[in-house]
Amino acid sequence: MAALPAMRPLGCLRSLSLSNPSSTVDSFSTAYSKRPERVPLPPNMPEQFLSQIPLRFRPDPDREPLKIYPAPPSARKACKDPVGAITESQLAVLDPTGERKAMFDYRRNPRSVKTGDIVRVTFKNGDPFNGIVMSIKLRGIETSFLMRNELTRVAVEMSVKVFSPNVNSVEIVQRSEKKRRRARLYFLRDKKHDRRSVENIVASYVRQKKAFLGGGNRRR
Amino acid sequence: MIQLKTLLNCIDNSGASIVECVNVLKKKRPATIGDRIVVVVQKQRSAGSEATTAAALASKVRRGDIRHAVVVRVKKELQRPDGSLVRFGDNACVLVNKSGDPIGTRMNGVVGQELRNKKWSKILSLAPIHV
Repeated sequence: MAALPAMRPLGCLRSLSLSNPSSTVDSFSTAYSKRPERVPLPPNMPEQFLSQIPLRFRPDPDREPLKIYPAPPSARKACKDPVGAITESQLAVLDPTGERKAMFDYRRNPRSVKTGDIVRVTFKNGDPFNGIVMSIKLRGIETSFLMRNELTRVAVEMSVKVFSPNVNSVEIVQRSEKKRRRARLYFLRDKKHDRRSVENIVASYVRQKKAFLGGGNRRR
Repeated sequence: MIQLKTLLNCIDNSGASIVECVNVLKKKRPATIGDRIVVVVQKQRSAGSEATTAAALASKVRRGDIRHAVVVRVKKELQRPDGSLVRFGDNACVLVNKSGDPIGTRMNGVVGQELRNKKWSKILSLAPIHV
């Protein structure tokens, strides 16, 4: 800074004038000030002056005041929780006994299906699917669970809606041997943790069940 | 999601083991189960060193051949009309000729059930399992 005045001798003068507080506005107020009310036109104003007034301020006997409609009635009053109501009504149709809801409600029911269990799902069209449960998504009527298995050395994952009318039955073949610390076992997709095929476990379960039930097709 | 340059496993006994997709037919989107694609055979199936001559004689396609194929398994999950999802561990296809008949006579491996809706019943009858 010491070199500046030598290079530009008048530079210091300019900075002096800028720092003068009286010449510039340093602050402005943000305090609330009321909007000024419109001053009415003088009642006895001669008509020839009207042309000097902007159009929108001129008195107009034809103009009607803007009509203000009342707000429509709120839909919230008619039904407070429409999604919940629909879920209830659908569950009453698809799961009247509440058995299947309890079977997958792993948060509340300790005897429910949990991730890591091996389950066997039979469908309306006949062919069953077996697999280890990787995740259970509790979403009301759209509750679904994801199974993983290996068929002919190819991994197959299937997500099934719990309340789907296509699902005939869901059976727990084997509980997971240790308590899982995760809610979603997506690590089962890694090579290290992959359980591979669960077909033999399910096959032995089916054989045992047949022996117990004498070949009957009843559920446990 | 089978598109240009995708490598697929070929699961029939036509002689190809790995093929590369070069075109998806009849749609402007990536192919999925049941879609017809055009492929180039990248790798031939060979069963050991002493059986190479026999295998080469038996194989109906060679490396570099351009063939039509039908996708039977995809990694990208597929949603069924009832809301269920299906996802396979790999992408796989079966070679077919121009008229739509499979070139191989045998298939090893699971295939998707979507083939039924798309009129590939010949492939479904060859497959050991469908999911």
